[in-house]
This record gives sequence, structure tokens and C-alpha cells, in this order.
Amino acid sequence: MIRKTLFLFFGIALVAASASAGDKKFVEFSSVRVTVDVGKVGLNDTVWRTAAPYNQPLQRQFLVDPKPLDVGVKEIQVQSVHDGKYIAFRLVWKDLTKNDDPKIMNFSDGVALQFPVKKDPLPEYFMGEPGKPVHILHWKAWRSADLKKGFQTVKTAYPNMTVDIYQFDYPVKGTGTEKTQAEKDIFIPGKAAGNPLSVPHKEIVEELFAEGSGTLKSTNIENTSGDAEWNKGEWIMVFRRPLTVGDHGSVQFKPGEKMPVAFAVWEGGRKESAGRKSVSPAWAEVKVEP
Amino acid sequence: MQMRKVYNWQLGRNAAYLYPQHRPKKQWAMIFDLNKCISCQTCSVACKTTWTSGKGQEYMFWNNVETKPYGGYPMGWDRGILAKLGFQEWIGDKYAGKTLFEAAEKDEKILQYLAEDDDWAHPNIGEDEVAATVNQGDWITMPHRIWMYYLPRTCAHCTYPACLSACPRKAIYKREEDGIVLIDQSRCRGYRECVRACPYKKSMFNVETRISEKCIGCYPKVEQGDMPQCVTNCIGKIRLAGFVSTPEQSRKDNPIDYLVHERKLALPLYPQFGTEPNTYYIPPIHAPLPYLEQMFGPGAGQAIAAYKAIKDDQTLKGLLVLFGSMEKRLDSFKVDADHAYGYDEKGNEVVNVPLTEPMYIREYYDKKIHVYRHNTP
Repeated sequence: MIRKTLFLFFGIALVAASASAGDKKFVEFSSVRVTVDVGKVGLNDTVWRTAAPYNQPLQRQFLVDPKPLDVGVKEIQVQSVHDGKYIAFRLVWKDLTKNDDPKIMNFSDGVALQFPVKKDPLPEYFMGEPGKPVHILHWKAWRSADLKKGFQTVKTAYPNMTVDIYQFDYPVKGTGTEKTQAEKDIFIPGKAAGNPLSVPHKEIVEELFAEGSGTLKSTNIENTSGDAEWNKGEWIMVFRRPLTVGDHGSVQFKPGEKMPVAFAVWEGGRKESAGRKSVSPAWAEVKVEP
Repeated sequence: MQMRKVYNWQLGRNAAYLYPQHRPKKQWAMIFDLNKCISCQTCSVACKTTWTSGKGQEYMFWNNVETKPYGGYPMGWDRGILAKLGFQEWIGDKYAGKTLFEAAEKDEKILQYLAEDDDWAHPNIGEDEVAATVNQGDWITMPHRIWMYYLPRTCAHCTYPACLSACPRKAIYKREEDGIVLIDQSRCRGYRECVRACPYKKSMFNVETRISEKCIGCYPKVEQGDMPQCVTNCIGKIRLAGFVSTPEQSRKDNPIDYLVHERKLALPLYPQFGTEPNTYYIPPIHAPLPYLEQMFGPGAGQAIAAYKAIKDDQTLKGLLVLFGSMEKRLDSFKVDADHAYGYDEKGNEVVNVPLTEPMYIREYYDKKIHVYRHNTP
């Protein structure tokens, strides 16, 4: 009932802004065609000088409770390039605090790009809707630090912590020490349950799908690579992925066509997570140059 | 936020909740006799060695025992949320104030108090701290002027859980068969909305797995007809676990119903929060009444009077000796002239305990094995 009312509410709110993708009412920016290998493009490569930056205004997430009263990041600079095989997005935003270390009440900085799986009919820009999924590329600063320093554990979070023993981790051989890692992991519930957040990954970008708020589903797909760097109060983040991928449920880009895109940013220092985030107020469109 | 009205019998009125009223077939419940807790922490250790011995769970005490009024884990959990909620009133047995759902701030689902990292760093801070300093010439009065008591706590497996309503992705569910509230470890994404929302601070974030965990009510034991680890390991025999009914469906022979509904000896912990918690406490008779009323509601005075009169109350006396006398959960009980009996759901006798322990007097010198013996009454 609440959900229905909400859908009705933002359904009405979005009618003017959305309709269908073909109506061309969105703010637009270009993914510039370049000749360098975009699959390997770095954070500050000179190729980025060729792509005009687009400044996307962000606002507090305002559709689903809890809504933050205010958010830390109000604008994000977006650039995009492609080489016919790969597409990359470069995002720059101000964040005075770097939050990339998991602790009990630490929250990760992060950014996400959202694309419709199918452009027509276009799903609601906020997390999609039932039957009209969106594909989300989510970067978390925690994952960058994991890749750089090795998967951060409770021991890296609290280095001065002392623990007598863990199950099957005794200093005496033969007292369970022969158990496999999987058997030891039974005592680490998230790992035992196979939660994607609890295990290391090859890429710093998580790929997810959603059909409405609260339906976010992580996948094992790792087609998107990325780099991120925090410097002097600013995050620079690059997403790179092939224009087309084998998975039909994933977003596919075509040169000469436009793709709707939405943005979300979390500032960990403000304990932003889940719906406590900055969002773009509607779909924007990236025009993939022919 | 659009809220529903649900009936909360602990408040004697309808109260706001995010979801429509729905009660499970059975509701997990636990009773603690605070007059008997000595804070030995055997419950905490029993729970820890059973459920939270893994990496990332080091700081977790799904069961903890704290010293009131100053102790708390995480530090200041109850003072924090009470201060945010502000002064509220009961009119008779009816709560006239606002629950945490009703007092939610703008664009939030529930009023929240956030415990920070440091607050989780001292599991037994304030241990044995008393509420006042001892002056020369002080003597003991009832209630005590200088007082403290121990408060053992688990998840309350609330009828209207704050954690469940706060989870944006429905990763928390309440089991139909026993009312136990669980976090789905494969669905949780570590947002910590439940950690923020639970007023009892019993959802905890695992840094190693980056998702949240909570007390599971020892559901594998409950499914076998047993009581949870913290109950069966309690050396002070202060606990009893079972299923609680609503007041209308209260059964006089159900030990939990008898203490909670029939005699109103066991009272919910901070009922004013509005989650209908299912951990019930027999208040300590020596602590000041205003404090106990703040913690257990307006029934605290009557509960203390009933507790003081137990020596003349055969049924209550019998029921209290059943505490800590068996591993099995009791569905019903009976007390006769000199024994208390407990029965399982099929009516089989699980336990029988004498109300008065028999006295054995042994010879000072045991001729058989040539030893001297003392008799310690």
C-alpha cells in the first residue's frame, strides 16, 4: 500500500520529466569517440581533455523514507569517452573526508551510475520499477582500499584488538587446524551465506539490478573495471566497461545512440548509506558519438 | 511516513507501526528475575561461545549483562534514546506519551539514537557502580538509597520490531512459527538502518562480513523444544523462556502467561518504545520505584508488592523454583502442596521440583570411608 502510494506519487511527479526515452527532454552530454584504448583509460589521462565536462546537480534522495534532510555532495562532474569497443565515465566530486575503511559505524564513500536495461518503455529513474529493471554500477571506496591493501578485515579495522582464539584456528596442530577455509568460514556468517559484500572481488565496481527501491540485487557479473583516487578533498573515479556484453540483462551501448543515466553519491563521513544519499533529480542522457 | 495502527497491549492502546498488525502463531519470550541476577556473565559467555566466536563478532554480545543505572552496552544506549524521546506520561495502565515510531523525526521511520564505535568498546562499563556515594553512618532502607542492579539483555524479538521496519530491503523477517526476528545473511547489505533503529541496540555490524547480525533467539534449540543457551546455562536460575500469548489468549497454566498476564509480575523492558518487546523482567525490589517505572512501565510497584508476598503464594513460589530446573521449554505447569511440575506441549512431564529442598543430615564421622563431614545448612 505504501509502495503503491509512493509509486503513484512519483509516477505523477515524473510524468512531465520522463514519458519515454524518445521524447528527448533530458539533459544530455556526449561520450566522445576517441582513438586511445578506453578499456585501459586512467584517471588523469590526457584523453579526458577532449571530453567536455557536464556538471550534474544532485539533491537529497526525496522519495523513500528515511530521506536525508541534507546531503554532502550537491554536484558531480561527469565526462565520458568511448573507442567503439569500450566506454568510460569519469566522475569528479568534492568530499572533504576520505572514508574507505570499514568499522562498526564507518560508512563508505561511494558513487553509482544507473542505466535502464531497456530504454523503451523507460523505467522510473529512481531504482527502476517492477518489470522494468535498471542496471546499476556501484563503486564503494571500501572496495578500492580492499584492492589496494588486501581485503580489509576486523584486524585491519582494529589493529590493537586482542583475541584469544578463533574456532579451528588454534596454535596446536590437529585441533581443527586441518579444516578447510570453507569449514572455518562457518563461523563467519556473511561468508558462509555467500553474501557478495563479505568476500573479496576482482573489480572495485559491483554490478546490480533493481526493479524499484528495496529490490536491489547484486550479481557476480564483473564486466566493469574502475579506478578511484581521493586527493585534497576530491574524489576522481573512472568506470570502464565494454559497449556491449554477452549478458542480455546488462546495459548495452551503441555508437550513435543515447542512453539514459542517473547518478547517486554517498558521503561516508556523513554516515550516508542506502537511501541516505545524493541523487540526480531525473534521468540525464549520454549521447554515444557515432 | 504513512504509519499503520497496531494494537500494543503493553501500552493499552493502538500505536503506530510501519506494517499492518500481524502476530506470529507463537511468540518467543523470555523472563528474567532481576532479584536473582548476580552478573556472573555465564549467559554472555554461553551465547558468545555458541554464536559469536567468529571473526568480526569479537565485540558482539547478543546477550549482555549491564549494571543499572550507569552501565550499558553499547554505552548509554537507554539514556541516549530516552533523552531523545523526552518526558512522556502514562495515565494509569495506558501510555499517553509518544512511542519511538510516533516521535519519528521528519522523513524518518523511527526516532533513533546512534551508538558510535567507542560506545561499543566497553562491554561492561559501569559494572557494580552504585547510584550514590556511601556516607558515613549510612544504613540500608527499602528501597535502597544507594542502589544498583544487574540487567541481563538479549534481543527482545519484538512483536513490532524497529529493526524489521527500518530495513529498506526487507532483509529482516519475523518467523511465523515462533516470532523470532532474524537478519537474512544473504540479503543484508550492511546499510545499518537496523543498527540505527533498534532502540535496544541489539543489531550489530560485522566489520569482517560488512553486514549486520543479531541474536537469533537460539532458534535451532527452540525448534527442538529446548530453551536458549543463555537460559539453560544461567547458574543463578533467573531465567525462563517460552511462548507468550496476547492478554486475551492468556493461559493460566502457561508459565510465561501466568507471570506476564495473570500475575503481572514480569514486565516488558521499556514498553514506551512501542515495539512490544518480548523480554520480561521481574523488577528488583530494592531499587527506587520511579526508575523502575521508567524502565518497566507503571506496573512496577504492583509487581514488587506481589514478589514480596511470594512466601505466602504457593503457585508463584512453585513457578519460580521451575526457573533454571530444565533444558526443555515448558508448555504448562502445575503446583501442588509440595512440588512444582512442568509439562511439554504433548503433556509429558518434563520436570518436577520440590518447593522446599529436603534436608539431609549426615553423621559427623562417616565410618564407611573414614572421613569427617560438615553439614552446611
